[in-house]
Amino acid sequence: MASFRLRSLVAALALSTIASGFAADPIKIGLSGPYTGGSSPMGVSMRDGAKLAADEINKAGGVLGRPIQLVERDDEAKNERGVQVTQELINKEHVVATLGYINTGVSLASQRFYQEAKIPVINNVATGSIVSKQFLPPEHPDNYIFRTSCPDGIQSQMIVEEAVGRRKLTKIAILADSTNYGQLGREDLVKALAAKGVKPVAEEKFNVKDVDMTPQLLKAKEAGAQAVLTYAIGPELAQIALGMKKLGWKVPMIGSWTLSMGNFIDNAGAESEGARMPQTFIQEPNTPKRKAFIDAYLKAYHPTNDRIPSPVSAAQGYDSVYLIAAAIKQAGNTDGPKVREALENLKDKVDGVVTIYDRPFSHDNHEAITSNIPVIGEVKDGHVVYAYEEERKNPLRLEKH
Amino acid sequence: MAILLQLLLSGVALGMIYAVIAFGYQSTFATSGTLNFGQGEALMLGAMVGLSMAGNVAGGPYINYWAMIPIVLIFGALQGAVVERIGVRPAIKTKSEFGWIMSTIALGIIFRNVAENVWGRDDMPFPSPLPTDPLHIFGASVLPMELLVVVGAIVMMVGVEIFNRRSIYGKAVVATSTDRDAAGLMGINTGLVITFSYALSSATAAFAGVLIAPITLTGASMGAVLGLKAFAVAIIGGLNSGLGVIVGGILLGVAETTTGFYISTGYKDVPGLILLLLVLSVKPAGLFGKSVIKKV
Repeated sequence: MASFRLRSLVAALALSTIASGFAADPIKIGLSGPYTGGSSPMGVSMRDGAKLAADEINKAGGVLGRPIQLVERDDEAKNERGVQVTQELINKEHVVATLGYINTGVSLASQRFYQEAKIPVINNVATGSIVSKQFLPPEHPDNYIFRTSCPDGIQSQMIVEEAVGRRKLTKIAILADSTNYGQLGREDLVKALAAKGVKPVAEEKFNVKDVDMTPQLLKAKEAGAQAVLTYAIGPELAQIALGMKKLGWKVPMIGSWTLSMGNFIDNAGAESEGARMPQTFIQEPNTPKRKAFIDAYLKAYHPTNDRIPSPVSAAQGYDSVYLIAAAIKQAGNTDGPKVREALENLKDKVDGVVTIYDRPFSHDNHEAITSNIPVIGEVKDGHVVYAYEEERKNPLRLEKH
Repeated sequence: MAILLQLLLSGVALGMIYAVIAFGYQSTFATSGTLNFGQGEALMLGAMVGLSMAGNVAGGPYINYWAMIPIVLIFGALQGAVVERIGVRPAIKTKSEFGWIMSTIALGIIFRNVAENVWGRDDMPFPSPLPTDPLHIFGASVLPMELLVVVGAIVMMVGVEIFNRRSIYGKAVVATSTDRDAAGLMGINTGLVITFSYALSSATAAFAGVLIAPITLTGASMGAVLGLKAFAVAIIGGLNSGLGVIVGGILLGVAETTTGFYISTGYKDVPGLILLLLVLSVKPAGLFGKSVIKKV
C-alpha cells in the first residue's frame, strides 16, 4: 500500500514536471496532524481544508510565481512522533513554514525546533492557552508561533457566559478527561467561573476509554448541578450524554468546541441534541466565501451525510494556508524571519472562511481569533447549527467588543 | 440509599463486563497453562464483525442482533484457533516459557491494525437490541442492556460448565486441565483440546464483545483497556475458578464506582489495583484459585 502510494506519487511528480516543463521550484509547507487515531476527524478535516486552499492558490498562479506544495506528515497525536516529523520537515524537506497541530501536547513538544530554526508555525486547531506563548520576550526576542484556532481561555469564558451569564445558572458541574487537554481546560473553566463569582459544585475526572460515567454524573447530580460543563473529546462526551439519560437526569451540556465532533454526535445520538459549544465556523453558507468553501469541500471529499467531519478544523486549516501565502507574497521571499515579520504586519486583508483577517497578528499578538469571532453552536438533528439567530446573521463578526 | 444502590448496580454491571472477558483467560490457562493476551482484541473483532452484520455500517443492517450472535461465535472460535495454531502451538512444542506471551501480544496488535484498516479508527455506535430507556429499581436506574450483559455472562458460564461436566468432549478438556501428560497417555488428543480451548476462549470474548458493544461504543481500540482490566479480574478471582471471575469482576466494578463517588473520580482505579496487589501477595492463586505446586 505504502509503496503503491509512493510509486503513484513519484509518477504524479514526474508527470507534473514533464507537463509544466520549466516549473519553478515549489514552496514547501509542512502539514503536521493526526490523520489516523482518535483525533483523526479533526486532523483529516484540517488537511483537506488546507489542500483545498493550496489547490486554489496554485490554480491562480501560486505565490511569487511558484506553486505551493504541502508536505503532509501524520504525527499520530503522539508527542514523540510529532518531534520526529518536525525533524524530517525541517532537515530533510526544508519547509518554509509548517501548519497544523490538533493536539496541544504535540504542538508544545514540536515547536521548539521551529523556533530555533526560525521557521514560522501556524497552529490551526490546537487550543491550549500556552500554545502560542511558549517563546515570549525577553528570552526569545521573536516568537515564530502563530495560531488561527480559538484559544481555551476564550472558549472557557464563552462556555461560562452561556451557562452563568445567559442562563443564570449558579450550580455548575465540570466534567473533564484526565489528559492535558481536559485538565488545562478544567483550570480555565474554574478561573472563568471564579470571575463570575461561581464555584463549581462538582469537578470530576474520567479517563479516555472509560465505559461507565455513573459515579461522576451521580456526584454532579447529588450536588444539585444545573448544567454540566465539559472538556473532553468525542467518544467520552458521548458516554456522558448516554450516562445522563441512564440516570434520568437532563441538564444542559455545555463544553469546549469538541462537542461538535462527529463521533460525539453519532455515538450519543438523540442525547447529543441541545449540546452547546463555542465554534469559529459552522457549516452553513451564510457568506459567499463560506458557500464556495463548503461546496468545494463536499465536491472534493464527499463526507457522509454531507457533514464535514470537523468543520472548524477544515475552515481553520483552509484559512491558515491563505495567511501563510499572503505573508510569503508580502515578504517577497521564503526567508523565515522575513515571513514572520510579514505575518506580524499583513498589509492586505485576507478573505478567509472564518472571518476577514485584517492585520490578524502583530509582534506581540500571535492569536488570529479574538473573542468577538467565535459563536455558540448547538447540536440539532445531528448537525451543528447556530444557537443564536443574531449570530447567524452576523457571520463575519468584525466589530471587536 | 438510592445512591448506594445505583453505585452497586452500576458496579455489578461493569464488573460483569470484566468477568465475561476474564472468563476467556481461564479456559486457555486451564488446558495449556498459557493465556491469550490478545483477548481484548478478540473481543473487539467480535464486536466489529457483529456491527458489520447488525449495525448500520457498510449498507447494513443485514440481519438482526440475535441472529448475528451464532455467526459471531463461529467467527470468534475460528479466530481463536488461528491464534493457537500460529502463536501458541510452536511455543508449547518447544517448551518455551515466554514465546506465547510475545506471540499472542503480537497477534493482538496485528488484529487491531487490521481492524483499523477495515473499519477505520473511529468509535461507532452499536444499535441496541433492547430499549435504551432505563428501568427504575427502588430509585436506581439500570439499562436493559446491562441486565442482558449480566444474564448473558451467567448463561455462558453455566453453559460451559455443563459442557465440561456432561459431554465426553468436555471431560477431555477437564482431563487435559488436570494433567496434560496423563490425558495424552489415555488417548486424548491434547493438542486438539488446547486448540479447542483457544477457540472457546475467543468465542466467549467475541460474544462478550457484541454483548457489551451497545453500552460501550465500538471501535478498534475498545479492547485494550477492557482486556487489561479483565486480566486483573482473572488474577484477583483466580485463573482456575469460574466463580472467582464473577466475584473478582463485581469486586473491581463496585470498587471503581464507589471510590469514584465517595472518594474521588481521579482515584477510582486505585482500590482495584491495591486489591490486585494484596491478592498477589497474600493468595497468589487468586481469591478462589487452587494453588498448584509446580514440580520442576
